[in-house]
Amino acid sequence: MGELFRRFHYLLHRNRLQRELQNDIEFHREMSARAGSSNFGNALRMQEQAREAWGWMWLERLMQDLRYAWRILRGSPGFTVTAILVLAIGVGANVTAFSLFNLIALKPLPIRDPESIVRLERRSPENITPTLPFVSVEFYREHARTLSAVMETMGAPAMEFEQDMQPVSVRFVSSNYFAELGTRSALGSLQLPPERNAPPMVVLSYGFWQARFGGDPSIIGRTVHLNKKPATVIGILPEDFAVLDGSDSDVWLPILQQPYFVEGSKLLTDTGSGGDVAMWARLAPGVTPRAAEQELLGLTNQLRKLYPKLIWDNEYIISEPGGHNTIMRPEMYEIAAMVGGLVLLILVVACTNLGGLMMARGIAREHEISIRVSIGANRQRIFRQLFTESLLLASLGSLAGLALSCLVMRLTLTATDAPRWMSSIPDWRVLAFTAGITGLVAILFGFAPAWQIARQRQRRNFARQVLIGTQLAASSVLLIVAALLVRATHHVLYTDPGFGYEQVFSIAPGLDNHGYDAAKSRAYLDQLKTRLSALPGVQSVALSQMALLGNGVTASMSVLLHGKPVTIYPNSVDAAFFRTMDIPLLRGRTFLPGEKDVDIVSESFAARQWPGEDPLGKSMWRDDSKNNKDVIVGVVGDAHIKALNDTDALEAYWPAQPENLAGMSVIVKTAGDPGQMLQQAKTVVESLDPKLFPYIWTLKSGFRKNTKQLEDITTIVGLLGMLAISIAAIGIIGLVAYSVSQRTKEIAIRLALGAKRLHVVATVLKQFCWPIALGAIAGVGATAVVSRFLRRFLFGIGNLDPISYVAGTAILIMLIGVSAVAPVRRALRLDLARSLHYE
Amino acid sequence: MPMPDTPKPKTPQGALPMLILRVLHSGPLHGYAIAQRIHVLSSEVLAVEEGLLYPTLQKMLLKGWVTAEWGISETNRKVRFYKLTPEGRRQFKADLSDYDRVSEAIRTILHTA
Repeated sequence: MGELFRRFHYLLHRNRLQRELQNDIEFHREMSARAGSSNFGNALRMQEQAREAWGWMWLERLMQDLRYAWRILRGSPGFTVTAILVLAIGVGANVTAFSLFNLIALKPLPIRDPESIVRLERRSPENITPTLPFVSVEFYREHARTLSAVMETMGAPAMEFEQDMQPVSVRFVSSNYFAELGTRSALGSLQLPPERNAPPMVVLSYGFWQARFGGDPSIIGRTVHLNKKPATVIGILPEDFAVLDGSDSDVWLPILQQPYFVEGSKLLTDTGSGGDVAMWARLAPGVTPRAAEQELLGLTNQLRKLYPKLIWDNEYIISEPGGHNTIMRPEMYEIAAMVGGLVLLILVVACTNLGGLMMARGIAREHEISIRVSIGANRQRIFRQLFTESLLLASLGSLAGLALSCLVMRLTLTATDAPRWMSSIPDWRVLAFTAGITGLVAILFGFAPAWQIARQRQRRNFARQVLIGTQLAASSVLLIVAALLVRATHHVLYTDPGFGYEQVFSIAPGLDNHGYDAAKSRAYLDQLKTRLSALPGVQSVALSQMALLGNGVTASMSVLLHGKPVTIYPNSVDAAFFRTMDIPLLRGRTFLPGEKDVDIVSESFAARQWPGEDPLGKSMWRDDSKNNKDVIVGVVGDAHIKALNDTDALEAYWPAQPENLAGMSVIVKTAGDPGQMLQQAKTVVESLDPKLFPYIWTLKSGFRKNTKQLEDITTIVGLLGMLAISIAAIGIIGLVAYSVSQRTKEIAIRLALGAKRLHVVATVLKQFCWPIALGAIAGVGATAVVSRFLRRFLFGIGNLDPISYVAGTAILIMLIGVSAVAPVRRALRLDLARSLHYE
Repeated sequence: MPMPDTPKPKTPQGALPMLILRVLHSGPLHGYAIAQRIHVLSSEVLAVEEGLLYPTLQKMLLKGWVTAEWGISETNRKVRFYKLTPEGRRQFKADLSDYDRVSEAIRTILHTA
């Protein structure tokens, strides 16, 4: 400790101590001279050796190198600005991607003790469900010792607020939710009632309070109406409220009062299978997630004895860390890895580009380097000096990239209306990431050139060609991926999806939420269908169990067909469904009223299951229990309504049965724009039963929402591709210009001797042909391998789609050609006499 | 930047700190006097090279075995005197007993051979 302290003391007072040391040595020399000895060594050298004992020589050399590098960089501002710009783009793209990932998956939420929050989900070998039945959660809450608190949240269809046209988003939560998160109200209290029969209460979000009530503080204690049910506003959430799993809402309601707001709901008592409650918990101090899962497994088995229908075979509960914005699912990691790979490619393009520039500069600095070598600098020292220069450049570029990324993050957060606690200011994770990237960048673009120059081999072409090739390969991967995505988006937007959605709207009356039984549902739906059909402009009305292209669950089953797993999307529908959705009936017939144990399958399904045979009259098992054997009565066209992105999806349709009528939604095909009819339809539904608050949407808006994600991804990847090629273009222009300037004399002589201009151009560009060709081939190969991971985004086209590959490569080669034109033209306009004279 | 030459010490390199500790034992001395005293005490066998003396002194300062104080030389010039610290004294004792043990061992080997 003492020694370290003294070392720093020496660093801080090095000037005074150096003078003292100098004095010592000076005195020694005087005394030796006086004693008659004349062979005293080099005093300066002696001083340096003595100072080396302080252990700060490396720092002094580093500072010396940095000062030198700074002078060199300031001496060529054109190069420095270009380099910083290229690096800022490359680093900025990476830092931005990481910042987003950080906000979503790494940064703990600003809530009390975020580390101990876990999300608990249901699993069994056959089933994966994020939510649980309320009864189960309450049982775990009561009995689990490893959990110090259990919280519930549940999303619900939007509700009518007062008489507003615009419905509000709502979320039901347990009474301890806000207290457990440590949320402090902006106004009033957040203490929701802990029992069912308390007076109904609601909490409003800050944004909703501002927008709807203009921030009026007298809102506390006022009565508002949700779905026409009166309730008292008790508090306002803070502006920077951090919500678990990123599911923000306008209005927050106590889950215990859900049956009051949704009349007839059996949520709190239902012991059938299923359930929509998200379970969150706080681990008791010192408890590991494993221990909690173990205890919950025991409790699940107890629960099965109480309610056999509630628990699946081999059911267990798994825990996920819950204290950050989003519970990461495996497919999200896949997306994150894909984005990470793409932005890393940008970095590779930037670095190889800069590496090429550095090498070209190395030739310009040949003179300087050889002087330094001849006055005694060794390779190591020159390498260190050059690498310090790269490090300085990398740091400046990263700093610019960090600033750029902050700006982009700020714009992104504003544009996407992100939660207020999310900040564009980088935290320590982002800073550490940036520092890491800086080192990586310096090594990527600085190491090889510094090594070559230090060994005075800068005229060798090979390394430069490798850099060009790599650059080309990375750019071509980005461009081809962008082309694939553009083609896929195009396919989704402009190809017939196999069903008509433009003129269809759907109504989910939510009969099951309000306790309708089969008979009541049938009566209600018959009446509704009659009333809707009578409206002018309605062409046909049908029933569908799946909410099509709207909010709602997608049911799919994975089955083995001839040993290969395929995903089947089943739907229970009535006979009018196919007509209403414009799905062509290819063979056989549609359902008859009241029919059971028959199936209609899609064209692809039939072709996969019974290749080359007539599917009509074939039979198949409806489920694993093997007590329902169905007969195929019809074949319809493929219509991936529930899986727009899955070209391999297969559909099966079952006739609607009385027991699932309560969960049915109604679909309506209109002659004109369905948007005009929504209000009319709402009036019809409500006039039949004022208790109901139907959810009504046009399929077109649902379809747009579904494809929006794809469009966004395409835009982002397209932008990345553009970035990559613009960097590559800068690099190519620089390199061609450079190699032209190097060969001015040769070109001038050739021209003077009457060589054809085209021939001269070919000679100059010949050296770039091989690396470009090899780079393009490597890029195509790499994309072919990597694009397999993209398949989920590639709607309707294969990942080896030749058009995309040709287009991507062609754009790149064209761009290279265009960037080479300017410097080559300059070469051809040479003033022969002057350049020969100069040389 | 020149690479440091490998110095040809006229004094065994490892022994120099110990010798310095020994000559400072009897009181503070400046650098030149340290070299002189070692030379004299060794009956003019050992000569301390200046190129080695000052780096060694710097290392000993860092380790806290000696401190430097301003004083006036016999030629009436301001110069730093090096003085043993209590830690330096302890170090000297430890070095001395180590040295005795090792040289005794070497002597035994040489005489049995």
